[in-house]
Amino acid sequence: MSGITRRHFLTTTAGTGLAGILATGVPPVLGQQREVSYLCWNNFAPLMDKKLAEIGQRFTKDTGIKLKIDHIAAAQQAAKYASEVQSQAGHDLVEMRMHFPWLYDSQLIDLGDLVADLEKKYGKVLSSAGETARVRGTWRAVPQYHAMFVATYREDLFKKASLKIPDTWEDLYTAGKELKKMGHPVGIPISQNYDSISTAGPVLWSSGGQEVDKDGKTVRINSPQTAQMIEWYKKMFRDCMEPEVLSWDDASNNQAIQQGKAGWIHNPVSAYIVAKQMKLPTADTINHHRTPGGPAGRHETDVPRHIGIWKFSKNAEPAKEFIRYLLGKRETYDEFIMSADAFNLPVYEKLQDHPVLKTDPKYAGLKAEGVQYHCYGWPAPPSDKVQLITNSFIMPNMIAKAVTGTSTKDAMVWAENEMKKIMAG
Amino acid sequence: MTRRKITQRLAMHLLLVPFLVFALFPFYHMTLTSLKQNKELYDRTAVPLLIRQGPTLEHYTKLLWDTAFLTWTKNSLLVTVLSTFVSLVIGTVAAYALARLKFFGVASLGTGIFVTYLVPTSLLFLPLAQVVNWLGLGDSKWALVVTYPTFLVPFCTWLLMGYFRTVPKEVEECAMVDGATRIQALWRIVLPITVPGLVCAALFAFTLSWNEFIYALTFTSSSEQITASVGVTSELVRGDIYYWGSLMAGAVLSSVPIVVLYVFFLDYYVSGLTAGAIK
Amino acid sequence: MAIGGIRVAAPASRPSLRAKVGELLDREQWLGSIFVSPALVLLLLLVAYPFCMALYFSVSNAFIGRPSHFIGVRNFINLWESDAFRQTFQNAFVFCGAAVGAKLVLGVSLALLLNQQLWFKRLIRGAVLLPWVIPTALSTLGWTWMFNSLYSVVNWTGLALGIMDPPGPNWLGQKYYAMAAVIIVNIWRGLPFFAITILAGLVAIPKELYEAAEADGAGPFSRFWYVTLPLLKGVLAIVVLFSTIFTFSEFNIVFVLTHGGPINSTHLFATLARQVGLETGRIGEGAAISLYLFPVLMLVVWAQLRFVRKQAY
Repeated sequence: MSGITRRHFLTTTAGTGLAGILATGVPPVLGQQREVSYLCWNNFAPLMDKKLAEIGQRFTKDTGIKLKIDHIAAAQQAAKYASEVQSQAGHDLVEMRMHFPWLYDSQLIDLGDLVADLEKKYGKVLSSAGETARVRGTWRAVPQYHAMFVATYREDLFKKASLKIPDTWEDLYTAGKELKKMGHPVGIPISQNYDSISTAGPVLWSSGGQEVDKDGKTVRINSPQTAQMIEWYKKMFRDCMEPEVLSWDDASNNQAIQQGKAGWIHNPVSAYIVAKQMKLPTADTINHHRTPGGPAGRHETDVPRHIGIWKFSKNAEPAKEFIRYLLGKRETYDEFIMSADAFNLPVYEKLQDHPVLKTDPKYAGLKAEGVQYHCYGWPAPPSDKVQLITNSFIMPNMIAKAVTGTSTKDAMVWAENEMKKIMAG
Repeated sequence: MTRRKITQRLAMHLLLVPFLVFALFPFYHMTLTSLKQNKELYDRTAVPLLIRQGPTLEHYTKLLWDTAFLTWTKNSLLVTVLSTFVSLVIGTVAAYALARLKFFGVASLGTGIFVTYLVPTSLLFLPLAQVVNWLGLGDSKWALVVTYPTFLVPFCTWLLMGYFRTVPKEVEECAMVDGATRIQALWRIVLPITVPGLVCAALFAFTLSWNEFIYALTFTSSSEQITASVGVTSELVRGDIYYWGSLMAGAVLSSVPIVVLYVFFLDYYVSGLTAGAIK
Repeated sequence: MAIGGIRVAAPASRPSLRAKVGELLDREQWLGSIFVSPALVLLLLLVAYPFCMALYFSVSNAFIGRPSHFIGVRNFINLWESDAFRQTFQNAFVFCGAAVGAKLVLGVSLALLLNQQLWFKRLIRGAVLLPWVIPTALSTLGWTWMFNSLYSVVNWTGLALGIMDPPGPNWLGQKYYAMAAVIIVNIWRGLPFFAITILAGLVAIPKELYEAAEADGAGPFSRFWYVTLPLLKGVLAIVVLFSTIFTFSEFNIVFVLTHGGPINSTHLFATLARQVGLETGRIGEGAAISLYLFPVLMLVVWAQLRFVRKQAY
């Protein structure tokens, strides 16, 4: 009986009336047992989910608070969260990717005290994580870890053709031409998926362009910098890539390099880790290098992941306790991070030189000096309008139009109009 | 059989071939994918239509033992069977009333029930989540048993309405003249005649709830409560990594029970539709 | 009604309660209401209420978890001005028209074939039904795998048979091919429903009618045109009605195969509603997208139902 959770109890009530009624008679002590539930994403690194469950069990043992962890696919989070908010019921703790705290800010409790404790210990939160977890000055979620995009290339092919490791996006064009000739094109998606935005962003930023101004209102996409970026994509598409990139989903570039077709892709380190796990022959030949830069510096897309607590939660205190347990002790946090095999890295400054990066020489490229990390829409704050611009795939669609025949100017004006309509609406 | 007839029959079979290829090829490909070793599955130079490097059951073992697939399937079955049964009962009585009885608002009620079909589920589930929560069914498969009838009942009602109309009124009136009440007449005389129609409605309802995804996703979350399609897709699609072999193994395993059911009931099914849909 | 019931029952000397209830149940008014009420309660509670909420969303600036205000039809107007929505609007009609049309033609042909004397009848019928039975969430994934740019078995087969030029079409990356792909998958999944339902209609047509027509010298085509088709009208109307509704609200195929791309050319109402309403939290606008065509659909359904009823009596 002691194992009866609220949910199970409700299930029982609904299912078998009598048993449910009997269950209400549980002694008050058991009824008061503290418990929390956590709705977590299905980690790209499955081992991290296993580690989380293990830490959860220790947490229950040490504190007597029961913890129930449910997992959900990343693609389904939006629907699930919306229904939990709408019905004001569900889990206590929720995993929050990138801009999510901005989306649900009015529904999340202030976790500033927890973040302050962590920052005291581990140093400041990385800017990309701070910009997304702190909504108008209030920490709506606690940054947990992050995964950034990284230039992933076939070292063997580069050596064979004695190509220079690209230091700028222009260099990538030079190398890409050779790669395509060798039958190993560059693989940058230009389609309605998020990887497309993750590459378009850094290219735009490094040429000095932006979608929306820092003020979060003024649309700035129609600029010579954007034109420069589009021109770059045009020649990349023509000389370094194949039309397949117009059809790609988030998994396609990984597959392309893992199966030995692509010579260069832009993706989180997952492409390599999975190749290694599946013992694919390409695993040995894949390596990473520092994100290419441009006239306006070196920028990279970052995917920070936070953890938040719903306002409607009746167990906010034990929920906070779990966050402290998971992230607040150096040993536990390290153990948690190590389980992800460099897929997810610490988001606190003093932990940047993390031991996980030394577990494989190919992770050296992940410690990218001089690279600035941002989330989609930067430098505009991720307000809901900026998110609608992101989620409407306006940038990849602008590029797709341009590489399939629309003039650079027209594509840019189209994007500007669409963005302005969103800003006005 | 004359020679001409045999040739004719052969021709019919030949004409069927493209249809069968279209229907079966994807299934064949899914089955093949589920049986291939990863090495061959992800080999770009391999022939995709054959297994050359030996079949493997590793995707099936992963699915069955590394995930809670069996629990999910059990949930799916429970939800599907119960919601089908509930909808069938509700649909039968409603259809009988709408088809046979004269009472206030009967025609507009029929249309009204049909119109609920038009309501797009793409956002309905948000307010519905609220109702589910009021009912105290958050994160419970019973929420699905309660909500699936919302799209099954209109369907069953309409199908069965047509069916009841085909049963001659006299059959019932005879029984009632002999002293049976209307309910007795319905139970003993009309329902037995409509068994094919009931089977047909049941099969359709079964398929629809077996395939349902969005309600299952939003109203349940723990591994002990979710259904097979939700479990399989959330466990085996991890962002930019798809576990193709096991995913397809899941597709194969979760379609087998219904195929068996259909083949078994198919004749009933066809005659059931005949009466129901036409009249 | 209750008063009437009692008055009639009064003369009988103290009828048992059971008999009274029994008599009441024999009255059509009563029995009818009782029989319809479970369905009514269910639909009122679980469809009508949420539907009204959705209606309200569509005329408000509802945003997930924030207080909302009534804003009239502004959502609908704003949508009409957005490129993505207009594209979606057009896509929906192309998609629905092409898919339902193809399913109808192919469905009738397939049903005619299935109605012939066949060897392995059961097996063939079972095979034809298969696509309808595989859970959609998984079968659409199977199709993405078949159209995958690296491993497309469709292109491999096409190239091997010599009907495609290397490298074969870029199925999900080119506007028209992507639309074709989602339509093909929809046809694949919906065809069994058409075929089997129409088959049921065919089975019901009395053989004598064909014999009579044949005696009058009608060939197979005129028999089909003058006997089969008119008698199938009722079935076809119902099938088309159900299928139009289903096809119009299609979500899974597009969401999994193309996510609405390339450049919104395959977005449908349901996928766009999700992109705006859920991914971005603007449930007001999302609801407006889902409900944009509700009035039109309602009219179409009403007209079709009348047609079906006329056919029936």
